[in-house]
Amino acid sequence: MGVEPGRLSFSWISSAESTKFVEVVKDVTATVKALGPNNNFKKAAKVA
Amino acid sequence: MLGYIDKIREISKRLLDEGRVDMIIGFRKGTIPMMNEPCFVKNSGELSTLVWDSNCGINLANYLTDRKEKIGIVAKGCDSRNIVTHIIENKIKREKLVIIGIPCKGMIDKRKVAGMFENGIDDITEEDNILRVKSRGVETSLKKSDLLQENCELCIHRNPVIYDELAGPLVEEQKDVDRYADVRRIEAMTAPEKWEYFKDLISPCIRCYACRNACPLCYCPTCFVDESRPQWCGKGQDEIDTRTFHFLRAYHCAGRCTDCGACERACPVGIKVRQFTSKLNKDCLDMFGWEAGLSPDQRPPLDTYKPADPGDFIK
Amino acid sequence: MSDWEPKIASFLCNWCSYGAADLAGVGRMEYPPNIRVIRIPCTGRMSPKFFLAALMQGADGVWVSG
Repeated sequence: MGVEPGRLSFSWISSAESTKFVEVVKDVTATVKALGPNNNFKKAAKVA
Repeated sequence: MLGYIDKIREISKRLLDEGRVDMIIGFRKGTIPMMNEPCFVKNSGELSTLVWDSNCGINLANYLTDRKEKIGIVAKGCDSRNIVTHIIENKIKREKLVIIGIPCKGMIDKRKVAGMFENGIDDITEEDNILRVKSRGVETSLKKSDLLQENCELCIHRNPVIYDELAGPLVEEQKDVDRYADVRRIEAMTAPEKWEYFKDLISPCIRCYACRNACPLCYCPTCFVDESRPQWCGKGQDEIDTRTFHFLRAYHCAGRCTDCGACERACPVGIKVRQFTSKLNKDCLDMFGWEAGLSPDQRPPLDTYKPADPGDFIK
Repeated sequence: MSDWEPKIASFLCNWCSYGAADLAGVGRMEYPPNIRVIRIPCTGRMSPKFFLAALMQGADGVWVSG
């Protein structure tokens, strides 16, 4: 619908998998950073 | 298909007189050409108002949710699938319904017809596959099969899937219909192209909610657009809010939509509302092999977990 | 714009991913600060509404973890 697929991600992480958590955070951040700022669906500027 | 009306009236009279139903939900003629209205008949003396022709496009299953009476309902193929969906979702009990099934050959698209006669239409009559349109005293004959609603052209479930009585012989289902050509065309666009495409599609929307009100699946006592704490979506015609409304409504109908076309028909500004839901219908078919409302015994895929459910998008 | 940092709304389920995040914090592990955690009781609570609402309020990405 016009939002790049990389902006939404899913994962399964168990409570004990903190190292995996760190990995996924780094991965997701890198993916979204590569896509640039989101200008679609943005309304924050209008909220008072 | 037009001969059905006598059978519909006969069945309805029998059901009302025998007390098997408290009321019949069907169609009656509207006030302007090509518009039929829903009608609720409680008295067998009033059955002559019932009609059946190619303008009976609205989905009568819309009027069924949470009713307590015994109801006889006129249902074409798509309507019957919505009735099955309502039964699965516990909005109506099967025992309360007597379904008068109508094998349907399609409804005409009133915008297509109106677009051909710039002087307005005085009257339309039908005979088998011919439409006789009278405009400013001149009568033109048109072939009905050229003027069908888009969802009717692509329909592969013309016969009702559930019924107690049939108003006519079952019709042959259409085969070799490419139902998702439109969806594939949009899927092939890049993200910015898709953004622009939907921006143009939604730009006439005035947020009248006719699509939501016509849809049989939209029965929530408080629709998400009416919620204010938290407010998911503003109520004005802001582009982003309108987009959110249409996409979210499509998601709420995912796996439940039967492509009846009532939303597109209801839209006062002619937006192709079905373009939102058809992509989700295609995805359900591809990912789960599921089509809405085919059998009252199967639970929908978004209701149940199966180990074979697609999950490779999860890290 | 190389100093722009994305804001990622992360919906973490209370029993699994939130616990993992907590454990990562207790263990003083380093991870990028871009995630803004929203705790949900279970991913069953997740809905497309949340995704769109997050984007509307200025998120650049959404991550759901169960």
